[in-house]
Amino acid sequence: MDQLIEELKKEIIEVLNLEDKKPEDIDENAPLFGGETGLDSIDALELIVMMEKNYGIKLQNAAEGKEIFKSVRTMAEYIKEHRTK
Amino acid sequence: MKNLKILSYSRITDDFVSLNGDLILCRSASDEPNDVAKHWFSEIYNKIGMEYPKFFKMDRLCKAGTLAAELVMRSLNLVNDSVKENWAVLCFNAAGSLDDDRTYQQTIQTKENFFPSPAVFVYTLANIVSGEIAIRHHLRGESSCFVLEDFSAPMISRAFEDALDTAEFVLGGWIEFDKGHCDVLLCAVGTGNEAELTDFSAENLISIYQKKY
Repeated sequence: MDQLIEELKKEIIEVLNLEDKKPEDIDENAPLFGGETGLDSIDALELIVMMEKNYGIKLQNAAEGKEIFKSVRTMAEYIKEHRTK
Repeated sequence: MKNLKILSYSRITDDFVSLNGDLILCRSASDEPNDVAKHWFSEIYNKIGMEYPKFFKMDRLCKAGTLAAELVMRSLNLVNDSVKENWAVLCFNAAGSLDDDRTYQQTIQTKENFFPSPAVFVYTLANIVSGEIAIRHHLRGESSCFVLEDFSAPMISRAFEDALDTAEFVLGGWIEFDKGHCDVLLCAVGTGNEAELTDFSAENLISIYQKKY
């Protein structure tokens, strides 16, 4: 799980162009939205695309996304359970 | 007839950044000659000590315009949270948003790798750059972007003068980024009586556009 969390932090920085952030700046338990990372609704869409592209996970339900994207850790837990690649 | 002056101007090219004709930064000749944006815009951002995390999410056209606007507004001591109702933003270029359009195209190029990027898509309009500048500096007047065949000082000055019929100030100019190369001349124009300021005219726009620093 720790390895997946580190991998996710790097991917989030890359796909969301968080050039001013390093993986160690992101607290895996902190809220991804509305917190210090300052992510917005477009970033949420970009994360949905990333989940499909990198892990083969197609999110169908918007309400589900709210729970999955609570933090890097919740994302990692969901990916671990549902990944197809 | 209004006594229009160029209150401040900045230039960003592949090779240098200048403000009111003074050199701010030179780019190393060996640094990514085919894609200046790769390091150049971040270098400028760091050099001027800008703090605006949204900058990193922008496409390259918006980065170029945002940096140039930052320099101009700083020189006028106007980088603050005050809403500026009487400022218009007018941007011009030849390539529109082609640079970002191409990047977006890459995300939908093949059926096997069809992952349209929302973050790239939102910049596939040239007028986003005028919006980004207006948002950054809380400018609430008219905001427009015109696509021209080439840099045209008469067209730019005419549009500025028209906008200044209703606005008190205009921030804008030529903001071009295409095929890894940038060319920006951004200025703030308004009425003024200060003798040391340059008169706003097509001839003077050409002169500062052609001047290296």
